[in-house]
Amino acid sequence: MSGVIEGLVVETAEPVLTVLFYGAMAAGASALGALPFAFGDGPRKVWIGAAYALASGSMLGLGYVLMSEGLKAEAMVAVLGGGLGVGYTWWFQTYPGTDRLDTSPDHEVGRDTGYKTILQSTLHAASEGVAIGVAMVVNLSLGIFMALALAVHNVGEGMALTAVLRQRGMTVGESAGLCVVTNVTQPLFAIVAFALSPALGHFLPAALGFAAGSLVFLVLTELAPASYERASRTLVATLMSIAAAAVVFLEHVFV
Amino acid sequence: MWIQVARVFAYGLVTALATGLGALPFAFLRTVSARTVAITQAIAAGLMLGASFGLILEGSAHGTVPTVAGAVLGVVFILAGKRFLDGREEVAFGDLRGAGARQTLLILAVMTLHSFAEGVAVGVAFGGGERLATLITLAIAVHNVPEGLAISAVMRPKGASVWSCAWWSVFSSLPQPLMAVPAFLFVDHFRAVLPYGLGFAAGAMVLMVFLELLPEAYAEASRTRVGLWVSVTLGAMILFQRYL
Repeated sequence: MSGVIEGLVVETAEPVLTVLFYGAMAAGASALGALPFAFGDGPRKVWIGAAYALASGSMLGLGYVLMSEGLKAEAMVAVLGGGLGVGYTWWFQTYPGTDRLDTSPDHEVGRDTGYKTILQSTLHAASEGVAIGVAMVVNLSLGIFMALALAVHNVGEGMALTAVLRQRGMTVGESAGLCVVTNVTQPLFAIVAFALSPALGHFLPAALGFAAGSLVFLVLTELAPASYERASRTLVATLMSIAAAAVVFLEHVFV
Repeated sequence: MWIQVARVFAYGLVTALATGLGALPFAFLRTVSARTVAITQAIAAGLMLGASFGLILEGSAHGTVPTVAGAVLGVVFILAGKRFLDGREEVAFGDLRGAGARQTLLILAVMTLHSFAEGVAVGVAFGGGERLATLITLAIAVHNVPEGLAISAVMRPKGASVWSCAWWSVFSSLPQPLMAVPAFLFVDHFRAVLPYGLGFAAGAMVLMVFLELLPEAYAEASRTRVGLWVSVTLGAMILFQRYL
């Protein structure tokens, strides 16, 4: 563990509380996304697209980190876990119908856009929570890294969510609150994943794969399409690749 | 040494010829729906992301920092190449004229451009060991087929012959054998450059996926469909690299 991460370690007597602390911190960070809206109309559409692209890239980088960790143990189990993660995410998008949610900022919003957006964010955050919890099981510094990276990523997502909420007449304060509330599933699922994963024993790589598969599928079905709707391909592609590279680099340096 | 070089060239040539197979469905079909093309783009995206995963993993074994630095260079290389080509759109291409010619030329240019990176990947992969070389060659050969399909799907409906589709598909991949040889020689002489080279190819491929393949796939197929095809091929590619 390098000095930087060590300086950030808040260890409690109960490891579950450590997970709760970092999960809650990541969730709380999403409120910061509402901040730019406190001044005037908030960021332009292209900035929201850029935030989505950065969120996508960092998530792909985290998926790489989780999957490479899983492959160290047992590749087949890790990839099958990835398939489960994709399947689970697919299910929670199609069952409530958020897969057909129109996220384009140029279209008029439908009646159900509001609650579907909230539902989508909440379920999306749950998968991120699993990633934090599983990473905490591998080792504390990977878990903290995962929580910090997702905290930064949540700022971008909070910004995108606030843009939708502001359109529907909510205040900046209400939006910030709702951003945090939709992310409450993050610490909760982090704790559940942290508590249950050790019981998997040899199948821990499946949990790592599950988290990686969920993150990658979320990027492909939610974040990446939303960024292409708001910013140019060149900008999106550049930011996504650089963000992914940055996560791989930082993980190497700090964990 | 020269036998090795000849083999690298031959492997690169195989990947290039595989691209021509993409024209094959058009020998039987008059048109392929836009959605089928979108799915093939999604499959190509998954295969390329999987190949990049393997490249980064392999590169990291030699050094993560140079691999990431190489990846950033790869991103910059493709961006610069695209910028260069964007300003040079001609309007006549073979039998094709006007908008059809421009679109054909653009897709060919982009495909040919990124083949340089793939050629580097093939050549560099030989520096990473026999198994990696066969794998990356096979992976690139396989993913060249949908690329050929994508090229043919643009050219064929605009009136180009099946043979012309096949030839231009192969042509778009010719930089692969041509670049594989110097890349191999370069890597063989400067082993320290290997992680940069692996990262470079991965960065270039990932950028191609996000710059061309994914947005085109989203334009013609639903997010869910694209997501499923990409993630399933990505997972299959990771397994393929592990167990082959």
